[in-house]
Amino acid sequence: MVEFAFYVASTVALFSTVMVVVNTHPVHALLYLVLSLLSVAMVFFTLGAPFAGALEVIVYAGAIMVLFVFVVMMLNLGRKTVEQERAWLKASGWIGPLVLSLILLVQLVLVLAPMSHLTPAGTQIIDAKTIGIALFGPYLLAVELASTLLLAGLVAAYHLGRHED
Amino acid sequence: MTPVQVWALLPLLIATAAIVATMLAIAIYRHHRFCASVTVVGMNLALLAVAYDIFFGGNTTVVVTGLMTIDAAARFGMGLILVTSLGVLTLCHAYFEGYKKNREEVYLLIGLGTLGALTLACATHAATLLVGIELLTLPMIGGVAYAMDERRSIEGGIKYLILSAAASAALFFGVALIYAQVGALDIEALSQALAVASLDQPLVLAGSAMMLAGLGFKLSLVPFHQWTPDVYEAAPTPITAFLATVSKLGVFVVVLRLFHYGASPVSPLILTSLVGLSMASMLVGSLLALRQNNLKRLLAYSSIAHFGYLTIVLVVPGDDALRAAGVYLATYLVTSLGVFGVMALVSSPMGERDAEHIDDYRGLFWRRPYLTSILTAMMLSLAGIPLTAGFIGKFAVIAAGVGDAQWLLVGGLIVSSAISIYYYLRVVAALFSAVAQGSERVTESLGWAQSFGGFMLLVAMIVMLFLGVYPQPLYLLSSQLALH
Repeated sequence: MVEFAFYVASTVALFSTVMVVVNTHPVHALLYLVLSLLSVAMVFFTLGAPFAGALEVIVYAGAIMVLFVFVVMMLNLGRKTVEQERAWLKASGWIGPLVLSLILLVQLVLVLAPMSHLTPAGTQIIDAKTIGIALFGPYLLAVELASTLLLAGLVAAYHLGRHED
Repeated sequence: MTPVQVWALLPLLIATAAIVATMLAIAIYRHHRFCASVTVVGMNLALLAVAYDIFFGGNTTVVVTGLMTIDAAARFGMGLILVTSLGVLTLCHAYFEGYKKNREEVYLLIGLGTLGALTLACATHAATLLVGIELLTLPMIGGVAYAMDERRSIEGGIKYLILSAAASAALFFGVALIYAQVGALDIEALSQALAVASLDQPLVLAGSAMMLAGLGFKLSLVPFHQWTPDVYEAAPTPITAFLATVSKLGVFVVVLRLFHYGASPVSPLILTSLVGLSMASMLVGSLLALRQNNLKRLLAYSSIAHFGYLTIVLVVPGDDALRAAGVYLATYLVTSLGVFGVMALVSSPMGERDAEHIDDYRGLFWRRPYLTSILTAMMLSLAGIPLTAGFIGKFAVIAAGVGDAQWLLVGGLIVSSAISIYYYLRVVAALFSAVAQGSERVTESLGWAQSFGGFMLLVAMIVMLFLGVYPQPLYLLSSQLALH
């Protein structure tokens, strides 16, 4: 049962990622990108890694996508924006992602329903506590190095993004 | 973490502290020389910690949480990385004096890149391997695009960003595929997987191919080399020096761990592809360098050829090959640092455009005799003329290749070296060509910073000639790589 859900979610992920690449309309492509990230999160859920799945939704699908959509919208500020948006929101654009994300939703409800005694497709359940123990136990040095990696990104972005008056 | 582990990690800790101190110094007051000094002092302290461990500390192997192992090879790598990065920092000070905007961030970026290389030198786990490679690459994207008002540098930065992200993705995916088969992420397990890779293990085979592609990109081996000339050309010269030396060195140390430190030698399939990469890099690098009129592009192609030579030591099993790798790396580093150093000083302080066209160097001897002598010596060393360090490096690699009867590779090296003499000597000839009467520029007086960079170059040249005449100490030091 859960394995079936895994394959469905993976198929959705593959399909939506292909759609991101072939779509010529940026906003529609972004819709599929959100969907692709959500389906990857679903894959994590089915594998028994709910924390990774939740992070995937929060970090990628949530924060980055909202930012993305904002940027794309901001680029087109102007008089014609309203009509443009209306044109963008035609059913042909959003019906595909909607159907696919409904599939994901049904799966999520089935897998996460408290009454179900489904075992995950992975070998064990990896919850937030296990991840915390791993990150601050054996992987402590990697976490610290990742923080300097963030610092590197910050410094580079600060320097490159600076506007000199 | 025990005190022994903390002590072993000291070079990394000091380097990190130096980065934080530089950041604080910038935040408090932007002063170019002061911020540069903070980084340089920090890196010197880290180098001191490494040197102490090598010479007086018993050179013990310390395993730190399974992610890192600080052993003799790691210390050798860290020492080379820190020395080279100090050289680059010295060049930066002279060079960025002429940059109109924020100059201090470049020290942060170089410090962070150095930390990434240090991490790679000690990495014994895929997590540190991947984080280290990213930490080495990400600051350098900022570095390549540092002078961002120029279209060219932005273009170079974006090129490096996208291509290196693709290469990292290939590397990560390769590691994931191998993990799917063997279920372990430490380098030992990865190199064991590389050792037994065969046609009936498609996952491992695909994974190792992707890892080779990712690592080959970072080392700019043909056919993953296309980014090298463009990025080298676009970057400010000291950053080019960093890319050509520290960046490749860090990756190569971890590659040595992957291909050399396993219990059994690498599988024949992977060896064949390594031979292919090596041959292609040697020949394509040398042939493409022939027609270059831009010195930076020429050196980019020559560095491709040089890493083709170095790949020979990956094919040859045994400790002699490791020793040869150490000798070759050290000689290549001191020589490249010298060449890029002269270019940086000739272009310093940073102006509209770096002096990089071969015409900029025509008749340089009559304007800058000392710098030109250094550049000439370094060019001869790159070509591998006897009595220079480059000769010793090539000798070591050929000896390793002959010892294992790798005649194809040795032949490739000889052909490629023969071709390379033409383009190195072309530059040398340009340096000494006579200039038309009255068109010589007057020698500018050297400021403190420039003479400091000049001093560093002088030391590099002396070291280079010393190693060329008396390589014994380097051989002894390089056997560090074979202690594992």
